[in-house]
Amino acid sequence: MSSPSQPANNLGNRVRIVVATSVMLTFISYWRAAAIVLNDLASSAFYACGIAEQAIGKSAPWFIVGVMLFSFTVRAVYVESCSMFVRGGVYRVVKEALGGTLAKLSVSALMFDYVLTGPISGVSAGQYIVGLINEVMITADKHGWVPRAIHNLFNGTPQFDVNWTSVAFALAVTVYYWWENIKGIHESSEKALWVMQVTTVMVVLLLGWSVFTLFKSGWQHVPLPSPAHLHFTKESLGFLHHSFPDQSLAQKFGILGIMIAFGHSVLAMSGEESLAQVNRELAHPKLQNLKKAAIVIALYSFIFTGLTALLAVMLIPDAVRVPVYKDNLIAGLAMYMYGPEILRLIFRGFVVVVGFLILSGAVNTAIIGSNGVLNRVSEDGVLSDWFRFPHRKYGTSYRIINMIVGLQIFTILASRGDVYALGEAYAFGVIWSFAFKGLAMLVLRFKYKGERGWKVPANFHIGKYEIPFGMASITMVLLATAVINLFTKSVATISGIAFSVVFFAIFTASELANRKKHAASQKHMNDQFQLLQRDTVERESLRIRPGNVLVPVRDYNTLTHLRWALEKFDIQDQDVVVMSARVSRFGAAAYDLAPEQIFSDYEQTLFTRAVSVAESFGKKVSLLVVPAGDVWAAIVQTAKNLESSAVVIGISSKMSPEEQAFALGQAWETLPEPKRQFVLQVVHPDGHLETFRIGPHTPTMKDEDVLLLHRLWLNITHEPGLENVHHHEILTEALTRFARDYGAREREDILRDLKRIGNMPPQAGPKPPAVPLVRREGGDGYPTSEPED
Amino acid sequence: MLSFLGTLLVRFLEGMFAVGLAGSTIVLLITFVEDAELLFGREDTHQP
Repeated sequence: MSSPSQPANNLGNRVRIVVATSVMLTFISYWRAAAIVLNDLASSAFYACGIAEQAIGKSAPWFIVGVMLFSFTVRAVYVESCSMFVRGGVYRVVKEALGGTLAKLSVSALMFDYVLTGPISGVSAGQYIVGLINEVMITADKHGWVPRAIHNLFNGTPQFDVNWTSVAFALAVTVYYWWENIKGIHESSEKALWVMQVTTVMVVLLLGWSVFTLFKSGWQHVPLPSPAHLHFTKESLGFLHHSFPDQSLAQKFGILGIMIAFGHSVLAMSGEESLAQVNRELAHPKLQNLKKAAIVIALYSFIFTGLTALLAVMLIPDAVRVPVYKDNLIAGLAMYMYGPEILRLIFRGFVVVVGFLILSGAVNTAIIGSNGVLNRVSEDGVLSDWFRFPHRKYGTSYRIINMIVGLQIFTILASRGDVYALGEAYAFGVIWSFAFKGLAMLVLRFKYKGERGWKVPANFHIGKYEIPFGMASITMVLLATAVINLFTKSVATISGIAFSVVFFAIFTASELANRKKHAASQKHMNDQFQLLQRDTVERESLRIRPGNVLVPVRDYNTLTHLRWALEKFDIQDQDVVVMSARVSRFGAAAYDLAPEQIFSDYEQTLFTRAVSVAESFGKKVSLLVVPAGDVWAAIVQTAKNLESSAVVIGISSKMSPEEQAFALGQAWETLPEPKRQFVLQVVHPDGHLETFRIGPHTPTMKDEDVLLLHRLWLNITHEPGLENVHHHEILTEALTRFARDYGAREREDILRDLKRIGNMPPQAGPKPPAVPLVRREGGDGYPTSEPED
Repeated sequence: MLSFLGTLLVRFLEGMFAVGLAGSTIVLLITFVEDAELLFGREDTHQP
């Protein structure tokens, strides 16, 4: 894994910049990783079967089950892909295998997949919500609970237009997450885990109640997945409808009918690609945890998506399943459970809440994922750097986010709330994205000779050649399905090709423009900077003394804090290290970046400005770029590795200094031991300074506390035998007693008192002798940061 | 001629799909065994 350091010769007058290539990430367990992927993958359970049944008939659940079983093999392709040690984004990796043109097409298909994930999830969530509202209205009207005025207003039972209300809902959710992404929300695995816990409760209830219903009420037969049982509609035959208007296709070509049906069900495994994006964040042992996460994901989605599809057809009567519940099938399943109506309605409400959580989460994941992919494509040189320019206030790649959300809003409006049309188009992106991935991995079996942790099984040898039979088989299924989908999904094919052509043109034009620009900037970089590649940040190898000052920089227009640091610290005593964290957000994390990608045009400009500031003070600074998953984790990790005594940052546009210190303190808490404390100094644009201590430290005591301690000491030392007691011994005894009380039955009282103290204005604080004073610091999950007086 | 080419393409895709499904089934079975070993097998206590 270690990459050799570049020799430090021929430096000349160039500025040395150390580029760390191993990403500083906060690692997550395989359960959390599985939860993140399932937030995307499991969301398709809410619409996949409804779409498939409309296309191919009542045997659709068997195809959904088949697709979910096949998804076990697709995840194997992703596991092998993740186990390869390569640098660069998806474009570079596919380009290596298939060449530039197919790589661009592959990324276009992936983008089509991502852009459609948002609209289909948002509209589907809207369908569930409006379906519930309309159902509740019918029930309420039946019991006479709807006021006459409202009844008259709607000329009967109040009912909302399902499709257009779903459109409005999807637009609202998309705009909400657009703004959140512009502000740069942090994707939390905690939230994903919580959503999956709630979803699991729903799945267990759903399956348990369904089995009970099967025994109590019986079930409908689900026709086996044979060509004779397939019933294609005009829409589901697409272009083939003109050749086979009498629907004889399935009978004429038996396997072809199965392929068409499989192609209409394939969107059930959409979201599998998220596995590659959480890979880098998995804790050690990475490969083993990746495999475990993949097993959890495959089993969970098989049980949820596959079994729910079967149960829906078994329990919901044919007369209402497609006409009424095609777009909210799980809600329909809830309504046909055995039990009282009110209970079923309550459970349907729960289904809708879970659907809202997971589907709206998928809208967010789609924006984050496509932003990540396009950022990485831009880093790969096939999208103009213009797109990646950071937002002036929030530092996010707002132009990419605006473009993605613009496309999603257009898609939502164009769909008019039709989940079937969205699903058909979505399947196009999903299958082509998988097919390109499979093909690239198959070719890389022959072309890539580097490190590979695991291989898709079923390989055999002919002479010295290894034949990847398993990988080839999976790729053949994916490719055959992708090609047949071209003919059977006319709207999807037209829109997918149009979308891919537009993106392909953008990528090609950008690549041409970037080639010229990068040649110039490469020359500039070679003249100005010397990149020293390091696997990890180590103080000794960077030749930096302990007790140095770390100055993270992000925006080259706001370097006030660097000026302050250079003015304040004497570099004879302390080295000043200017650090830029190159944040790779979720969605861009399939592969590590190459050094020249980490130190891109933006970093060049940023460091040119930083060096210029340092030169204006006549001082030398050390420059460092680190790739990171989270900026706070990167700062504390770097400060730890460099043994920094102080970190100097500028004021954030979206956080107060206290919040910045809190975030840094939280990141510090997650660091493994041994770790050292440091001082955080937040510099305001006007030069005003706020100082915090990060890590456990001697608290700043108020005068009255010192007075109280001293008074206690005076009293205690008057006691016989305690004449030699020291102040610190009294403190030790007090804290020991406090810790004991906190761990026992007085915990609630202590917490209540602390809350009361925390809410009091400083001047209204309690009198020293009455209440023992405790400050927030250290332990029990509280970040150990405290404002310095 | 077009019909013949169409039929040829369909037969080719059908062949790909059928062979692919058979091979994928083998992959599925092997990975099931590997998964079971990973989930229920003895933990390797060796630290690299």
